[in-house]
Amino acid sequence: MNNTEQIKKSLKKRYRQEKRFRLLSLLAVLTGFACLFILLVDMIIKASPAFIQTEVKLDIYFSPEKLNISANFDLEALQNANFRGLIKQSLHQLFPTVRKRSDKRALMRLISVDAEYRLRDKLQAEPQLLGETVPIWLLVDDDVDTYLKSDKQFGRVSQEQIAWITELEQQDRFQQRFNYWFFQTGDSREPELAGILGAVMGSFYTLLVTLLLSFPIGVMAAVYLEEFAPRNRWIDFIEVNINNLAAVPSIVFGLLGLAVFINFFGLPRSAPLVGGIVLALMTLPTIIIASRSAIKAVSPSMREAALGLGASKIQVAFHHVVPLAMPGILTGTIIGLAQALGETAPLLMIGMVAFIVDIPQGATDAATVLPVQIYLWADSPERAFVAKTAAAILVLLLFLVAMNGLAVWLRKKFERRW
Amino acid sequence: MTTNIEQQINETWGQPFVEDAKISIRNMDVFYADKQAIFDVNLDIGKHEVTALIGPSGCGKSTFLRCLNRMNDTIPICRVAGDISLDGENIYDTHKDPVLLRARVGMVFQKPNPFPKSVYENVAYGPRLHGLALNRAELDDIVVTSLKKAGLYNEVKNRLHSVATGLSGGQQQRLCIARTIAISPEVILMDEPASSLDPIATAIIEELIDELRKNYTIAIVTHSMQQAARVSQRTAYFHLGRIIEVGETTQIFTNPQHELTENYITGRFG
Repeated sequence: MNNTEQIKKSLKKRYRQEKRFRLLSLLAVLTGFACLFILLVDMIIKASPAFIQTEVKLDIYFSPEKLNISANFDLEALQNANFRGLIKQSLHQLFPTVRKRSDKRALMRLISVDAEYRLRDKLQAEPQLLGETVPIWLLVDDDVDTYLKSDKQFGRVSQEQIAWITELEQQDRFQQRFNYWFFQTGDSREPELAGILGAVMGSFYTLLVTLLLSFPIGVMAAVYLEEFAPRNRWIDFIEVNINNLAAVPSIVFGLLGLAVFINFFGLPRSAPLVGGIVLALMTLPTIIIASRSAIKAVSPSMREAALGLGASKIQVAFHHVVPLAMPGILTGTIIGLAQALGETAPLLMIGMVAFIVDIPQGATDAATVLPVQIYLWADSPERAFVAKTAAAILVLLLFLVAMNGLAVWLRKKFERRW
Repeated sequence: MTTNIEQQINETWGQPFVEDAKISIRNMDVFYADKQAIFDVNLDIGKHEVTALIGPSGCGKSTFLRCLNRMNDTIPICRVAGDISLDGENIYDTHKDPVLLRARVGMVFQKPNPFPKSVYENVAYGPRLHGLALNRAELDDIVVTSLKKAGLYNEVKNRLHSVATGLSGGQQQRLCIARTIAISPEVILMDEPASSLDPIATAIIEELIDELRKNYTIAIVTHSMQQAARVSQRTAYFHLGRIIEVGETTQIFTNPQHELTENYITGRFG
């Protein structure tokens, strides 16, 4: 038997192996893709009710007597005026047979607690409405909303309430419209009023602080360790510790933040500033490790070329090495920030889990972040929060996609052919 | 026979010293950690001539060359002993700045290594670094002159602002030479500048070296004996970290004194 035949025989086996391996790899890719697909579809289906909100049309008579204000009212009068009474009155006209006090309360519960504020804002914007009767769309309570959205299967509504809802439906007083509110407000105990903007802004400020701290510090540390540091035992020690830091459980960083930044330095509790600092500490090792390998990958010939022209070490580093390493550094930074974006545990320790209604206006305002908001909503008993939770997850994923998109764009911008 | 050769490598044959030296190296030893790479080398590099350094791989030619502009400073374990002076001043004096030295002693590397920027930016980098041009017009002038000197201008004049890594290997190497001469160094060190180029590009580079000799002092490491014979005026033969023989190129190639040199240039060894 000569060599050719021998090779031919083994060739068959090799091709078989290759085929098998290709199939397995494809399967792995498909599995990953399927998991992602299932997650996304499930989230979108679960979240869809959260993007739609039911409103009810009530004919509101802005009665000066009931509101106890005169034609030239000021803001204070408006604050004290009894708008709730207007809604009661309107409902009474619709359902005159409801007499019992407890029934009246149940009737009132169909409408969101927000309704009276909406009336107040309306009157403030259009003072000429005083003394007029106008049809106004008001938010319904989340129980009614859930009941209507779930084809009348769920929702904590009593028999009487169902009768009233049916009556209102027959009068064509319900409408469903896109839930802008969800994207414009902070958290609330009432699901129909709860919005994601507070958490989005909280996440934004937190990540901003994280980025501003961890990116420059991480890149500088990596540049120092790769380009300037002498090779000795101290540097080895630092290296080992950076690698160890990357493996420290994140809650430990939270405890550190609580003990050092809040208790010792007296920084504000629940603030994106502290959250950002804590997450920056957590992100630093990731950025340093990624930046170092990116810097290491820059061809030594580039350093030699610049050195040979009389560039100083620092010029070599910042004119050539760092720009060439930038795509890799950015990738590391984005991975680190994506981790930080999804981090919950350390933020619980520094109080970012508090119930915060206001939208933070800066890094020192109390705030919560997206993953913590998801955790809070997932923990809430109202059924309507299920959809809100899924919607918040979608927003978080969107945030992540936007961040990654930005990174890809930046990388393309910095990438150069060798 | 063999023992005879071993005995003879401890001294340098020929004429290591010249009248008009640009760089003089005396009793130079180089160590990488504990390993000695260069043993007691003495050599003068003459003004406005090309000195070729030849020898088998690993004989220390590149190490020697890189010591002349302190490129080896970047290797932490490398230690240089002895006296290397440029125009009579020791370049390894502690107060001597390697940055200034490298501006005076430029280097062209084995593999063309243009920056991944435009042709213009590559040449303009050095002058900008050292503030050699006061304004844009002066900088343009330096770039064009350097490219012309490197014999590259006609080929790239229409693509000055396209990326340099898109040039051919030979063009890239000439760009590196243009980049080096843009800061008007006094000495140019070349570490096998044509080793990754085809014969045509090599011929162009060799012509260029001959042309550059008028204005610059050049030391070139090469593996090609023909190249050394063609471009250099003096040749030094390195063997295991020592200079075995040094002299006029014509003399070295036609009438080598040392047996090792003869073996090497006739292709029997190395």
